[in-house]
Formats: sequence, C-alpha cells, structure tokens
Amino acid sequence: ITLSNPHLWQQASGVAPKVIQNYVYSRPPPWSDTLPTIFIITPTYTRPVQKAELTRLANTFLHVQNLHWVVVEDSPRRTNLVSNLLEKAGLNFTHLNVESPQSLKMNGSRIPSHKPRGTLQRNLGLHWLRDSFNKTQPPEGVVYFADDDNTYSLELFEEMRYTRRVSVWPVAFAGGLRYESPIVSPAGKVVGWKVVFDPNRPFAIDMAGFAVSIRLILERPQATFKLEGIKGGYQESSLLKDLVTMDGLEPKAANCTKVLVWHTRTERPMLGNEGKHGFSDLRMEV
Amino acid sequence: MKVKLKNVFVVYFLVSVIGLMYALLQLGQPCDCSQHLRSASDLMHGKDKKISQLLSEVKRLQVRGKGPELEGQALPIIYAITPTYARLVQKAELVRMSQTFLHVKNFHWIVVEDSPVKTQLVSELLAQSGLRFTHLHTETPKEQKLKESDPNWLKPRGVEQRNLALQWLRENRELSEEGVVYFADDDNTYSLRLFDEIRSTKRVSVWPVGLVGGLRFERPLVEKGRVVGFYTAWKPNRPFPMDMAGFAIALQLLLANREARFDMLAERGYLESSLLQSLVSIEELEPRADNCTKVRRGTGSQDSWVLSMVLGVQWIKWVRAGDQDSWVLGVGNMKFCL
Repeated sequence: ITLSNPHLWQQASGVAPKVIQNYVYSRPPPWSDTLPTIFIITPTYTRPVQKAELTRLANTFLHVQNLHWVVVEDSPRRTNLVSNLLEKAGLNFTHLNVESPQSLKMNGSRIPSHKPRGTLQRNLGLHWLRDSFNKTQPPEGVVYFADDDNTYSLELFEEMRYTRRVSVWPVAFAGGLRYESPIVSPAGKVVGWKVVFDPNRPFAIDMAGFAVSIRLILERPQATFKLEGIKGGYQESSLLKDLVTMDGLEPKAANCTKVLVWHTRTERPMLGNEGKHGFSDLRMEV
Repeated sequence: MKVKLKNVFVVYFLVSVIGLMYALLQLGQPCDCSQHLRSASDLMHGKDKKISQLLSEVKRLQVRGKGPELEGQALPIIYAITPTYARLVQKAELVRMSQTFLHVKNFHWIVVEDSPVKTQLVSELLAQSGLRFTHLHTETPKEQKLKESDPNWLKPRGVEQRNLALQWLRENRELSEEGVVYFADDDNTYSLRLFDEIRSTKRVSVWPVGLVGGLRFERPLVEKGRVVGFYTAWKPNRPFPMDMAGFAIALQLLLANREARFDMLAERGYLESSLLQSLVSIEELEPRADNCTKVRRGTGSQDSWVLSMVLGVQWIKWVRAGDQDSWVLGVGNMKFCL
C-alpha cells in the first residue's frame, strides 16, 4: 500500500503544487485459494448521492478478503460514473445493467413507495452467477444482497462466509424498529421472527438480513425474486421460499444477539438553490 | 527342545490366514465416517475463520502500529476532528467512517462526544476500530442546544466539541510536528483521494464539496493557481463561504495561533469563517483537486473534480406523527439535545 510520492510536495511557498497523477489506493487483502468467496449483489440507480454511496461501500469492501462485487445499474446503459468508480476502486467486480420498466423505477423525485425496487437488477445478478458457474462444480461461497445505502460492519462478512444454505441475522432500523431479528431457540434453530410489521410473512426479514450459499443458488435455478403481485415486505420471502424452510436457516451473529448491519437510509440532499435551470456546472461529476 | 522348522512355518501360515480372514470379514461392514468427516470439516472451517480473523487483526494492528518513524519519508499526520452525539444512527455512522479511515496512512482520529461522560458505545467502537484515536467529550451548554422542534440550522452544532479538539492539539502537539487538521463530520462521505490531497497543506487548503449549500457542489474559484473567489449560491458574501468539509488547516498554523477557534455566537453559515479569518486570507488559500480548472475535457474525464466527494448526507427519520406513521425528511439529524 503506497500513497502518492511525498517528493511532490511543494518546497517554496507561492508555487502551485505539482499535479499528482497517479494514486495508488488501498488494495484489498490478497485473494486466498481456500477462503469461500463472498459475492455481493448491489442494485444501484442514478441520483445525486449515488457516487457517495458507492464510494463508501467500496471503502468498506476493500477490507474484506475474497469479495466479488456485482453492481447492477438500473439503466439502459452502463454509466461512466459507475464504470470509472469500479475500475479505480481496486475491487474484483462485475458491472451489469438492466432497466426497470417505468412503473417500477425509483427516480429522484418519488417518495419511497412500497413497490419492490431493485428486483430486476438482483435477478440479473443471480442470472450472471448461474451463467458463470458450473452447477456440478460450484465454488465455495455465499451471495449477499447489499443495497447501496446500508452500513455493514466488517464482522458481518466473516459471519456469512461459511453459510451452508441460508444464514440469517438481525438488522438495525428495519421494519420500523430499532432492529428486527429472527427468534432463535436454545437449540440454535430459527423458530420465528421478532418483528412488528407483518410477522406472518414466511420470512419476515430484510434484504440485508440473510445470505445464500452459491451451491444452493445454483441448485435451484428457478429461485428468483418475484415481481408481480408482491406486497411490500414480501420480496425477500418470494426468493427464500424457493430455497429453504424456516428450520433450515442458520442463525449467525452469536445466535442473533448482535447487530452487524444497519438499514440506514440516505436523505435526498437539498438542492433547492439549483433552481429551475440549474446553477452548478453539469460537467462536474458529483 | 528341538523346534522343527516345519512347525514354525505352520504356525506362521496359520496366523497369517487367520489375520487375512479377519480383515476380509471386516470388508463391507458399514462404517460411520460421516461423523468424523463433518467434525473434521467443521474444524477446518473453524480454523479458516480463525485465520481470516487473525489476518484482519494483523492488518489492523499494522495500520495502528505504523508511526511516522517507520516511514521512509515521514508523512504528515492527518488529524480528523469528529464531533458526535448519541442518536440511533450514531454507531452506524462511526462504523463506516472508521472503515474509510482505516485506509489512510498516518491518521489520527479525534472523536469528541457531546456528552458529560465518555459513552461505552463510542469507547468500545474506538478501541476495536484499529485506528489511532483520541477520545474526548464536552457537553454543549443547554442554551446552545437545539430543541426537538428546532430545525437543525437554528443553532451552530459541534462548536464546543471542535474547539475542545483544537485545545487538545495545542496542549499535546509541538510546533515541530508536521500535521494537517480536518473537520470530518460523522454523516459525510470521504473519498480516499481527499486525504492524499490534503496531506501537503502548508496553511489552509480548499477544494470543492458536493451536495452542499443547496447545490450539486460548491467550490472555490481559482485563477493562476490562486483562489480568487467562491462559487456558491448561498450567502456568497461570507468571508469564507465554504462548508466545514471543504478545507484543511496545517497543524503548525493552529499551534502558532493559539486563540483561533470557532465562535459559538457566529451567525448561521459563518462558523467556518469565524475560525479561518484569524488564520489566513483568501489569497493564501491553497487550492486542491487540480486547481479546479483543468476540467473542460470534452469527453468529460471529470476526474479532477472527483474530489467533490465530500457531501452532507442526512438521515431519513421515520417518526410517528401523532397516531400515524409517516416519513419525515430528516430535519435535525444533528440535534445535540438528544
């Protein structure tokens, strides 16, 4: 890990510093042949805070060994912003894109609704995994759906790495609570859900609260997130019901007693001063 | 007694045959090895997990252990001053900040809680972060604190805390030590390049900041390598119309001017100016991010302005308005009264 050459610092005052051309950022820990891979699927869409969100995700992921980031844009084309960011980040990545039909789009001006968002994008990520890996010789690994506005502790990734089928853990700020959590019996099995919002869901869990082993994803090619007729809060169940039953779940985070992921959300920035015709130079990538 | 060779052979033959029969009879017996296999596999997983935990621990300790004396060329230390206060998202904010800072060499985090005591949450988080840190605390006086119903811009926030951090630096650092001081609020996003750029600060360096002042970005205007004005829409007549995240100050400048601090009574938006005007004049500012001038390349390699990646993001809070749940856009995410 080296930073830019300190010899470039200016010696005399009043002289503009030399432009630093090459930045060598932190690199993730070296790839290990034995460690299972964590595939992170992140749907994303263009809005002012997109670059910031992806930046801080990248800063987090750079600490995790054997991580492969699958970024799926809700866009007809892969944007330069995301392409450049991914190339410079130093992570192993796959860059995909699929555009959601207008009715499902989450554009900047809408108040968050309960329509499932990111569904097509996550499914494309699953599709890529199924295309890329052989069912007969699946790699050791796990798939995690990490939305770009959440906060993840580094411990979380080590907890999910050895998932055999589907592992679960608590999520802070989900479902209108300080945290939502699976209920774990003394024997270490999931027996219910400690939630207030619709506890009758087959899997009353947030997208950030579970991970699925690659092997299982490849074994069940028909398991995807469903688009049609899915009520708010049922997206996760629409996938998980085709993969596992409640008693097959593996509780992590010390039998679901620790919070390792926060369902944080980012407020839309106040851009009122841009006015109707825009004020700041649009050529500046923000 | 005479041992006949023939008898020896017979005995040997019989023993071998019996042994062979026994072995053959064992073939085809069910052998439950799965137990062993599973436990062996668990053991391996356990060991692998331990190894990866140890590796990350090593990495963290390496970051922490490296002081300037171990570097070939001593890199100036970047001191990030972060005021913070207890609220639901505090831990999440500090966690992701720490994840960014872990990538920065020669980094020292000064966290100042708005609290009469050091809270356990912050103490533990800092201890486990792997960063070099200083943990301070001071409580904002009641009159200065925002009430629940106040909008978050009504009273200046984090002032006492930042000033305490400045005081700590003045009491614990020498003029001979090279360093840069940056005010890193806990709800912003920082790119790693930012820290490369500010390390060379001789007095006060400045750069664009994204998503502030009601704009996509604010920035200094630069001509011939000097700052000549500011590109901003909100109160542009301030002496330094900049966001807290848009400048960094050389440690030596702060140590040489021991009275420079933030003014609690400053008018809204003038907090940054209240500190900077006693330290530097506009002509002396050092622009970063490629002088903010070399941008207009047709294909839009907007890399030079990529540094506008410090932005203020605030939290959407889900509050109960009366007996109804409703979404309220996060006003007052920095309420010090909590």
